Amino acid sequence: MTNYGLVIDQERCIGCQACAVSCKQENNVPMGQFWNRVLTEGGDKIDTPSGGYPEDGGSGSLDMEYQPTACQHCENAPCVKVCPVNATYTRDDGIVEIDYDKCIGCRYCMAACPYNARVFNWDEPEQMPEEGTGDVAARPQGVVEKCTFCSHRVDEGLDPACVVNCPADARIFGDLDDEGSTVSKYINEYETDQLLEDRGTDPKTHYISGEMSPGRPQTSDKMESELDDVSPWSDGTEDVPSEAGGSDSSGSGGSHHSIEGDADPHVPAVGSGGDD
Amino acid sequence: MNNPQQPRLTPIDEWEDEATAMLDGVEYNTELGLRMARDAIRVSNGELSDAEFHEKYHEEVLAEFGEDERPTKPEGFDDD
Ligand code: SF4
Ligand code: SF4
Repeated sequence: MTNYGLVIDQERCIGCQACAVSCKQENNVPMGQFWNRVLTEGGDKIDTPSGGYPEDGGSGSLDMEYQPTACQHCENAPCVKVCPVNATYTRDDGIVEIDYDKCIGCRYCMAACPYNARVFNWDEPEQMPEEGTGDVAARPQGVVEKCTFCSHRVDEGLDPACVVNCPADARIFGDLDDEGSTVSKYINEYETDQLLEDRGTDPKTHYISGEMSPGRPQTSDKMESELDDVSPWSDGTEDVPSEAGGSDSSGSGGSHHSIEGDADPHVPAVGSGGDD
Repeated sequence: MNNPQQPRLTPIDEWEDEATAMLDGVEYNTELGLRMARDAIRVSNGELSDAEFHEKYHEEVLAEFGEDERPTKPEGFDDD
């Protein structure tokens, strides 16, 4: 069976927040909320190091360690066990998801999540631009929301947005049940930890520390074909993907929530610089 | 409650205060949510079984929410 998981190489992470920003964009995350955060082991703020600038020959250090954190898609997810209406549930492929139509906003799942991975829409969510961003419908006021491993992308054979947009290739997504997958190989080969292991939640996000891995190999068929489609080195005859020319290619946002049908909102119609 | 500036993950002894704050002002029973959250972690780390957890809270969940759709329901469990 498929059991999706994420490996984050903390030796590669440069703390640039690209994952946090691309998550917000892709998933239409409201103003003031984050599904994906890059915590630091430094000072009190996200961009303050624990040390100081070395002065007068002093030995200050601006070293920072980064801890990208989002829903860990726990195997033994406490959030799933407490939800009285089964709005929070685990999909067959291991992704923990919320049915926003069922959620009654009791916030029991938030209290049960040890990773502070969930956010509650206290007010009517505000988006910038107003019509929203990315490829997921906005969630209403009064529900809890969180990272979905970009299940709408995964369902189309694409990696989550945070993975694709990490410039340090520090994030690797794949099937933990497939021994040949990169995530499985990295977990076997490198020293990896899960967060708060003592709580027995068995997160599907694993963190590499110590030795740096080679990062995310770009081997997925779909991704390779996307790259071909927009390759600046191609002779031009295949530059336009066969499905290009849809009326929604300008990225107007808001209305393209649907991932059904033959709309393919993830692949930029022409040229580079799209959301992939 | 999800503070993007929060630098670290919450140690377990501070968690309870955070969970209480999260549930503050909720339309449902705060104290029940806290007890269930605590015990759900005990289920995760194997101190409590799914079935025990389900039975322990079934009556209260039913009284509070009018339904109990938790996936922890043991096979053959009598809902009423
Ligand atoms: S990280 Fe939190 S929200 Fe995500 S599956 Fe685990 S307990 Fe649930
Ligand atoms: S807030 Fe929503 S998802 Fe969370 S436990 Fe309550 S009903 Fe379930």
